[in-house]
Amino acid sequence: MAARGDGPPQSRRSKEMRRHLLIYLGLVPFLVIAVFPIFWMAITALKQEADLYRMDAVPFWFHLPPTWKNFDFLFQRTFYADWIVNTMSISFWVSAITLLTAVPAGYALARLRLPFAENLGIGIFMTYLVPAIILFIPLARVVSLLELQDSWWSLVVVYPTFTIPFCTWLLMGFFKTVPFEIEEAAMIDGCGQLGALLRVVLPVSWPGVITSVIFSFTLSMQDFLYSLAFVSISEQKPVPLGVATELIRGDVYFWGSLMAGALLVGVPVAIVYNLFLDKFISGITGAAIK
Amino acid sequence: MAETTGGSSSPGTSLAVAVGGRARVLSWWRTPTARRYVFGYTLLAPAVLYVGLLVGVPFVFSLYLSLSDATVGDPLARFVGTANFTAALENSVFWTAVRNTFVFTIGAGIMKGLLGTTLAFLLVQPFTGRRVIRALVVIPFTLPIAVSVLGWKWMFDSQFSVVNWALSRLGVIGGYGSADWPVWLGQPNLALFSVMFVNVWRGFPFSAIVLLAGMTSVPPDILEAAKVDGANFLQRFQKVIVPMIAPILFIGAAFDTVFTLSDLSIVYLLTNGGPDGATEILPTLAYNTGIRAGALGRGAAISLFLFPVLLPLMILLLRTLRRRQY
Repeated sequence: MAARGDGPPQSRRSKEMRRHLLIYLGLVPFLVIAVFPIFWMAITALKQEADLYRMDAVPFWFHLPPTWKNFDFLFQRTFYADWIVNTMSISFWVSAITLLTAVPAGYALARLRLPFAENLGIGIFMTYLVPAIILFIPLARVVSLLELQDSWWSLVVVYPTFTIPFCTWLLMGFFKTVPFEIEEAAMIDGCGQLGALLRVVLPVSWPGVITSVIFSFTLSMQDFLYSLAFVSISEQKPVPLGVATELIRGDVYFWGSLMAGALLVGVPVAIVYNLFLDKFISGITGAAIK
Repeated sequence: MAETTGGSSSPGTSLAVAVGGRARVLSWWRTPTARRYVFGYTLLAPAVLYVGLLVGVPFVFSLYLSLSDATVGDPLARFVGTANFTAALENSVFWTAVRNTFVFTIGAGIMKGLLGTTLAFLLVQPFTGRRVIRALVVIPFTLPIAVSVLGWKWMFDSQFSVVNWALSRLGVIGGYGSADWPVWLGQPNLALFSVMFVNVWRGFPFSAIVLLAGMTSVPPDILEAAKVDGANFLQRFQKVIVPMIAPILFIGAAFDTVFTLSDLSIVYLLTNGGPDGATEILPTLAYNTGIRAGALGRGAAISLFLFPVLLPLMILLLRTLRRRQY
């Protein structure tokens, strides 16, 4: 700390530059450790088989021409296309169930001044924290009672157990920010409670609704345990499970295709999730911040 | 305006409501308040029922299963008392799993806290390119977990590990085949370290972002006031920032602990408990016992051992949430 904040603009600028430099230097290790695995997966996915197993050459770049073979393998020799369809279908139905239950619940808890609303809200949210590992054995029974074992529909039933609590909590926060006045105005104009919800509150809360859909999608994609426990038929698997179980045959790992399959779904999910990360964090910590 | 006589707060009694100058007796459930309650609980019912039926009931059912000899093949379960719990307690693998679970959770938790704090302090500064860098740094947390674990499995490959290649070229370790060539997932101590490392890799951005959310929620004028009063940076951190963001820190830590404790995919995909039980944790043991070996009752009992660990955490969290009016 030689020159402290005073002095001519020249030294202030150089001080600013030094500050930037220090921050960047501090961030470099974090950046490398965070991003390198993605780079490594991408380059693996595009390398030819022989190029993967060389110990003499620098592994960070191509020594044989890049290839799309690993992606071809995925679509022609595995059920990858089915896995994607399954994943999309699961996420679609999970989002639908979540919206149909969490939107009304969030609204009721946030705005209707119900007795026990606070405790109920906390109660619903706390179920998000009950670990899947405690629930999956009894849920296996539920799934088999519904005769959904080995079908991706079992996951449609199970995933809302974590998306509903999370989205209810998130939507509560959103609904609280809608001013009461516009709802009252709508009711004076002749809307009932339900009419006010559907015609006035919901349209202005659409960012919350979209956020809930995004989280139903991405949280569904984060699961591994339930799909591993409930679905063992190849065609019925969602992508993360399919990639993790079908591209490893005994001791043989199809690394190129594994990485290709992982990236193909991983990167879009990471990007979307990243865009909504602040909402996710405020969903988790919301109660403490406000 | 409806004028009520008698206690409006006592449900079930009828009230006299002034309507157009004439007093009419309405039963309680037709009052606006009652209608609001009925409407509200109707809206709440689907969510409460869903969560109740698929989280509450299974939870109770897992208590029952843990006291029975249920297996995957035999739907007729008999009550066996605490036999599953005592069997678990007498099994040495179980104790290894308990030990590993604690080492894993606490060790990884401390690392995530340290790295997350450092990263949060860097990211809270204003600088050019902050948004882009933040987006890149949080990638590990946003990538689906199975996807990133597969990536690490390949990077830890016993022979073609890129980690080892780099370490070898830097002269930290010898070449392939030499005695100090680490087989990350194959040597007991290294395997436990590796699964913790992947957990830390995935979790540190979450810690950082939670902390960041907390730091930016501290009103700047309070910090300014502390500055004017002569508090230096560390004092401001210790006396102003930490107490103000404590609930957020706590919630973040609780979440991370629950995620870590209940997540089996890292261990399952990297080592599946091996080598020789070195990375066995309670979730993998419960899965392998309950589903793969088919002993549902035994598996349920093992998974319930997580609950005493989680319960105090959840109670504390509950109190934090309740104390803060939202």
